[in-house]
Amino acid sequence: MENILSVLIFFPLIAALLGILVKKETIRVYGLTVAAIEFLLSLWLWFAFDPANSGFQFIEYVPLVSDFGINYYLGVDGISLFIVIMAALITLIGIISLGEVKDLKNMIISLLLLETAMVGVFVSLDAIVFYLFWEFSLVPMLYIIGYWGGEKRLYAAIKFFLYTFAGSLIMLVGMLYIAYVYQSVAGVWSFSLTDWYALVLPISVQKWLFWAFFLGFAIKVPMFPFHTWLPYAHGQAPTVGSVILAAVLLKMGTYGFVRFSLPLFPDAAVAYIVPVGVIALMMIIYTAMVAYAQKDMKQVIAYSSISHMGVIVLGTFAMNAVGITGSIFLMLSHGIVSGALFLLVGVIYDRRHTKLMSEFGGLASVMPRYAVVFGIMLMASVGLPLTIGFVGEYLSLAGFFRVAPVMTLVGGTSIILGAVYMLSLYKKTFFGPVTKEENKKLFDLNGRELTALIPLVAIVIWLGVYPKPVLVPIDNSVKALVSFMQEKAQTPEAKAIIHVSTSSKEAK
Amino acid sequence: MESLVYTALFAPLVGSLFAALFGMKPKSLWTGTVTSLLLFVSFVASVLLLQHVMEVGPVHVTLMDWIVAGDMRIPFGFNVDQVTAVMMAVVTLVSTVVHVYSNGYMEHDKGFNRFFSYLSAFVFSMLVLVMSDNFLGLFIGWEGVGVCSWLLIGFWYHKEDVTRDVNPSISPSWAANEAFIMNRIADLGMLVGIFLIYWNVGSLQYDEVFAAVPQMSHTLLVAIGIFLFIGAMGKSAQFPLHTWLADAMEGPTPVSALIHAATMVTAGVYLVIRAHPLYSSIPEVGYFIALLGTFVAIFAASMALVNRDLKRIIAYSTLSQLGYMFAAAGLGAYWVALFHLAAHAFFKALLFLGAGNVMHAMHDELDIFKMGGLKKVMRWTYIYMGVASLALCGIWPLAGFYSKDTILEVAFNEHTYGIWFVLWLTAGLTAFYSFRLVFLTFWSDERYKKYGFHPHEVQKYVLWAMAPLGILAVVFGWWKEEFMEFVTQLLPAYEVSEHTHHMVPILIVVTSAIAIGGIVVAYVLYHKRLRRNPKIEASLPYRVLSNQYYIPILYEKAISKPYAELADIAWKEIDMQVVDATVDGIAKLVEESGDETRKMQTGNLSDYLKWMAAGAIILAVLAIVAVVKS
Repeated sequence: MENILSVLIFFPLIAALLGILVKKETIRVYGLTVAAIEFLLSLWLWFAFDPANSGFQFIEYVPLVSDFGINYYLGVDGISLFIVIMAALITLIGIISLGEVKDLKNMIISLLLLETAMVGVFVSLDAIVFYLFWEFSLVPMLYIIGYWGGEKRLYAAIKFFLYTFAGSLIMLVGMLYIAYVYQSVAGVWSFSLTDWYALVLPISVQKWLFWAFFLGFAIKVPMFPFHTWLPYAHGQAPTVGSVILAAVLLKMGTYGFVRFSLPLFPDAAVAYIVPVGVIALMMIIYTAMVAYAQKDMKQVIAYSSISHMGVIVLGTFAMNAVGITGSIFLMLSHGIVSGALFLLVGVIYDRRHTKLMSEFGGLASVMPRYAVVFGIMLMASVGLPLTIGFVGEYLSLAGFFRVAPVMTLVGGTSIILGAVYMLSLYKKTFFGPVTKEENKKLFDLNGRELTALIPLVAIVIWLGVYPKPVLVPIDNSVKALVSFMQEKAQTPEAKAIIHVSTSSKEAK
Repeated sequence: MESLVYTALFAPLVGSLFAALFGMKPKSLWTGTVTSLLLFVSFVASVLLLQHVMEVGPVHVTLMDWIVAGDMRIPFGFNVDQVTAVMMAVVTLVSTVVHVYSNGYMEHDKGFNRFFSYLSAFVFSMLVLVMSDNFLGLFIGWEGVGVCSWLLIGFWYHKEDVTRDVNPSISPSWAANEAFIMNRIADLGMLVGIFLIYWNVGSLQYDEVFAAVPQMSHTLLVAIGIFLFIGAMGKSAQFPLHTWLADAMEGPTPVSALIHAATMVTAGVYLVIRAHPLYSSIPEVGYFIALLGTFVAIFAASMALVNRDLKRIIAYSTLSQLGYMFAAAGLGAYWVALFHLAAHAFFKALLFLGAGNVMHAMHDELDIFKMGGLKKVMRWTYIYMGVASLALCGIWPLAGFYSKDTILEVAFNEHTYGIWFVLWLTAGLTAFYSFRLVFLTFWSDERYKKYGFHPHEVQKYVLWAMAPLGILAVVFGWWKEEFMEFVTQLLPAYEVSEHTHHMVPILIVVTSAIAIGGIVVAYVLYHKRLRRNPKIEASLPYRVLSNQYYIPILYEKAISKPYAELADIAWKEIDMQVVDATVDGIAKLVEESGDETRKMQTGNLSDYLKWMAAGAIILAVLAIVAVVKS
């Protein structure tokens, strides 16, 4: 399977198009089968992946517009591998979790199209192709929120679309400029990321390009103060939309930092550790407070996502392998955990058609299984050791500690504030006496819900106890990235701050 | 030996998972029996390990890698040395007793199976905490015991929140959250300490870290010492992070005995003992620890003086004794701290289990003012609690006498007479409140009859299960010399000076005198009947003490409430009114400007020509400017 990556991208697309022909009665089985095959293919990718090789693997290269150096150029390394697998897994889980929704057929087609876009973003090595998938991912999501959403769905969908679109346009300008610089240096156009990596940009150019890309990524993450589209999107989106949005789509932003900002602009990235770090701290503390003030369960999880993304940003700008590996692992763990939490909120919403915490209380005695799964995810969310949440959070903070100890101390309040809003949510919803008559007869998790949730619980514990199989490939690619950044950096400050691991020094 | 290590460690985990299988099912005798048996297995393995360490030496095993990133390599490694072996023996012994005891205590509880699952999970976490060979492994256990404590304090989660006047702990779920969050605050300090160690040593393994201590700068050592101690302050409930411990009494009483007296709360003391190479080289931080411990000793004892709640009195006494342990550890007498830790574990667990019997007999009534005269109906419980209280007061020849007296000797020997005096005074207070509790519960008039209680002694096997603790509370102190010889193979040997040595008999007399004095005062006041003086009870000092110095209310008013209000402002005023309004404002601006400029499109040809002319003129001007400039 030389072109496994193309298969991974286009299989859901073709399946989605064929899905139009499938009958309504069989569409659920059809969607499940397609998503399951896609997930198995992504597992095969992991199986065939050489963890010792830190570079890009399964490379595909087909010239598209040769005059402008635009190529269909794909590849996967340790950094993107697991995000691709997670995208496939979350899509599968999302489809499993679908209950009785209106127009199921269109929903499944939208989800499969979204899967194509997600996989495409994470395996593209050509800026234009990357950009196409990046923007394409907005369309199915716009449709999912706008068609299946709540009361204010149109407002939320349009806000989501325009806001992120505006940011990525500025990123596109940055991309065009890099290609232009490349052309003036090398004499030919190229949008290949690997060509761009070789380009040593003057510091002043790096600095404004850094912010151009930053805007595109920051809105996607979303970073404070560009985050206000997210609560609306989550508030209105159907459960499956929120799951995919939180688990995968947000990661496109932080992935962008690792793939573009760090290797392309190492000096600027080091120069802006403090401002970016301050924004990340704002995200962590401010949104944790806002999460605590929420009355709606889903909004708590939505704001908590922003808070956790702040820790990911800190890890990314740690400029050492510990922090960056941690931030990528945290992307995965946040994907699994926030995905599961949104599913769990969906469970109770399906039963009561409300997400207000004041409507509940005492659910632990009525729905014990639900309480257990929620409790496990809660503990993973607050970063309990031996759950998936701890590894990434610990490594991200540990890595960032090297460049900014005091900021890490401030950012570390995430472990306190996270516990504050999550435990208060759990207490309001699950503890205390059952006060509402309608809650007394609620039925516990059913088979479909358990099928969606149990794999996530298993992953949360497995990767919490034994994260090594995932950490090692990530870490290898990250070490190579850090060494590369260090070599490429021009300013002495950047050379000093970017910290190459001794093990990768020895390898040379 | 490897298999013994793993048996001791994993038997409780297996028990916990087994009980968890039945977690949502009705009570099954199996869960209680199996978990208790597995705990016993773990205890036997721990004792065998203790023997092995005594005869051969420490055992070190590495299970597998855990976190590997950059140059960081953290294994699941376990090291059983002298300190760990002692901790393991204490933890598993008390746990086994508490497991057996709980079979009786939780007999009629709906959550019987769930309870045993949590309890065994706690023991597993505690063992990870004491057995790990690196700081992050310790942190696993550290957080693990935190979660189990959260689960167990909030075990009766269905209870409603009430006001502080009715129940100072508000509700089990409230107390559970409080404990978890307080501990998290401290854990942040601990994490920062771990980061500092990692980036300066390049490893988190104890042996490598402690070997690097001589090369580290003094400032760095002080910083690490302080941050690690902040972590210890949370788990061991030292001021100002102490309020959770008294509220934790909302949990079932066996939990209070195991977690909130004998094991988890001593984790902070364990950490300081474990990091003794570090703390030995920063005596000023050690001195601060000793001062804080001394303060907590008398601070907690003072609150116990006036409290009426059976369990809260014992909780404050735990807090006070933890202060003693920190005083000893801070002054460099690590082995004395460990000795008091072990002795305290035995008699305090016994005291709590006795309290559990009383609660059982009194239908969960906790107010000692409503008890009295129970020794007639609960003879064995009375004996156990009496012995435990005597041990706690430090009466010869019980365990507490040896351990507490040694701490006072250390304080005297260090010429820290202030610390000595406060600890000495606290010994008197301890004796008073302990026997106030004993006399008001077991002696004096039978006030319970008025309230319609029909107390009865607990099951025989429960009483038998308590016997090991009862015996150890008496005899443990007799092994002081052997204990010292054993643990000082690892810990620094603390020797008192010649001068202090001569003073020891006098010190013993003075200390015993104040302890006996405290008991006598309690006897005089309470052995016949409950004496209450409304004037004293209405006085300011009394109210300050009975309201825990108003600290919980202060925390609520100064921290929780403002935080909630600030959070509300952040959401409603800032996020909605400023940040989001700006975004929508920009969008509106674009829309409106588009709407305005749309009016140019009139469809009238002459209008278009006018605009075109205007545009042409602007372009021409720009061109001229450009030409002139170049």
